Amino acid sequence: MSAIAAKPAGNAGAFQPVASVIAIILAVIFIGAAYFLGNSGILAGGAMLPVTTLVGIIVGAALIAFGVHFVPVGGAPAAMGQSPGIATGVAMLATGAGLAGLFGGAWAASLGFGVALAGGAIGGGLMMAITCLMVNISYVYGMGIPAASGKVEKDPITGDSQAEYKSQGTEGHGLPFISYVGGVIGGLFGGLGGTLIYIELLEFYNASFSAANMEGFSSLAVGLAGIFAIGMFLVIAVLSAYNITGTIEGPHDPKFKRFPRAIIAAICASGICGLVALLAVAIL
Amino acid sequence: MSVKVEASHDGIPHNKVMAMGLVLALVSLYIAVAGSYAGYDYLAFFGGIAAVGALIWGNSTIKKLCSYGIGTGVPSAGMLAFGSGVIAMLFAAKLAAINPFIVPIAGLIIALIVGLILGWISNSVLNMKIPVMTRSIAELAAVGCLALMGLTVVAIGGLGFDQLTTYTIPILGLTVELYAFSYIATGIIAVSFMLGAIALQHPFNACLGPGEKQDRTNMLTIECGFLSMIVMAVISFAFIDMIAAWISLIIALIGWYWSYKKYFALSKRDAAAWLDAKPFSDAEE
Repeated sequence: MSAIAAKPAGNAGAFQPVASVIAIILAVIFIGAAYFLGNSGILAGGAMLPVTTLVGIIVGAALIAFGVHFVPVGGAPAAMGQSPGIATGVAMLATGAGLAGLFGGAWAASLGFGVALAGGAIGGGLMMAITCLMVNISYVYGMGIPAASGKVEKDPITGDSQAEYKSQGTEGHGLPFISYVGGVIGGLFGGLGGTLIYIELLEFYNASFSAANMEGFSSLAVGLAGIFAIGMFLVIAVLSAYNITGTIEGPHDPKFKRFPRAIIAAICASGICGLVALLAVAIL
Repeated sequence: MSVKVEASHDGIPHNKVMAMGLVLALVSLYIAVAGSYAGYDYLAFFGGIAAVGALIWGNSTIKKLCSYGIGTGVPSAGMLAFGSGVIAMLFAAKLAAINPFIVPIAGLIIALIVGLILGWISNSVLNMKIPVMTRSIAELAAVGCLALMGLTVVAIGGLGFDQLTTYTIPILGLTVELYAFSYIATGIIAVSFMLGAIALQHPFNACLGPGEKQDRTNMLTIECGFLSMIVMAVISFAFIDMIAAWISLIIALIGWYWSYKKYFALSKRDAAAWLDAKPFSDAEE
């Protein structure tokens, strides 16, 4: 149904001020709830640890939602060479980049906060760089189509003109340079956000398991933080995909301007998901 | 954005499918939890039936949601369902410390709350303007939670946070509880996450189109559910009683074989023409 009915309506890009304000207020309420739960001793680590953890999760989610908009997503039309981008859905691409970064960051978690974040970002960026390169190789040498954007006259970075290379009846094809750069930037942000969520959750679980005197808890904390980070990453990635509604070429696409909505959605969604994730280790 | 493309008109209405799936999932989960509470693992296979029930419900919801053209493909709905479902399920598992019997219903309620907020976000903040969006995402979160609970029960026999986080082995006559080899710490929960998510998003994604028939799609859902259950039953050899694991595996294999045969017959029924190509038998002549 995705390819048949993907017709965005005229007002699909409009910003929703009332709903956005309500979403931000909800997120503040979730942070307040974390403060009171920590203060009353239900969550471990005192009043401030749950709050800083939840804020870290929300920042990570906002980074993911922002990063998803950079990734050139082509969907089914791209597989037929009729639109630019990588030939799969937003959710799959963002998940690939984000989880590659998350694993990279998780390996580096013992080396410190900064190293882990950098590892996560580079992991995600590397994954997207390799994907974009191989996609372009299969487009150019396998399908025999040049890379051309349909949304801009000239590539914003290299200044190459696009129209001569674009086939008639298509919206462009292949991966132009700006889309490649956008993909790598999207991978960097996705990996960074996913790793931030993971590390914040890991620190919180370590603190609450050591408060509960559980022996040998470190691998358990890793498993719990990992599955929660994956779940939250997927929720944020799919919500951002709903914001894009189908395909996007990269940072030069007009749809890119919709990203503030996705960030607000991510803040609210990660607020409720993060609060439930903190409550999963509540002291009952 | 509300361009509705009708899927199959025929068959059972969505609310009836939802009620049937919900009742099947909850009753099966409670039977399995009661068995675990009494100390027997032999009822763990009811978890697989719960997962199948939840998946049938979720498949009908996906069909309803995706008939509006969400523009991102059917698989994204499955991922969203399980992403929010796993969060609700682990919080509900923690509540087993109060009473193990509140876990399934608590998971359902928490997932519905999380799903309602996510659905409201996608409909209002992201301006999707799809009438069934809020309800569908809430339903999908509940489906993700129940299906994950079912697959978890197949693997480890219970739903309590203690069962999820410890692995009990006898050493020199003493039972030792280890965190490092548990369902969560080894990452097997991620396997069940993906098995469930694929079983949820695949059937409608495979059957959609002008000739989509409800009974054929549902049969594929059942087949995918039992296929996931086979893998979880194999994993369960590491966690639960050997005989219980064999019971789960045999039931999963029988269920899968039966539903696969039925699905094959239904595909033949709906196909315009059928040519049995026999790729290998004639190759030597």
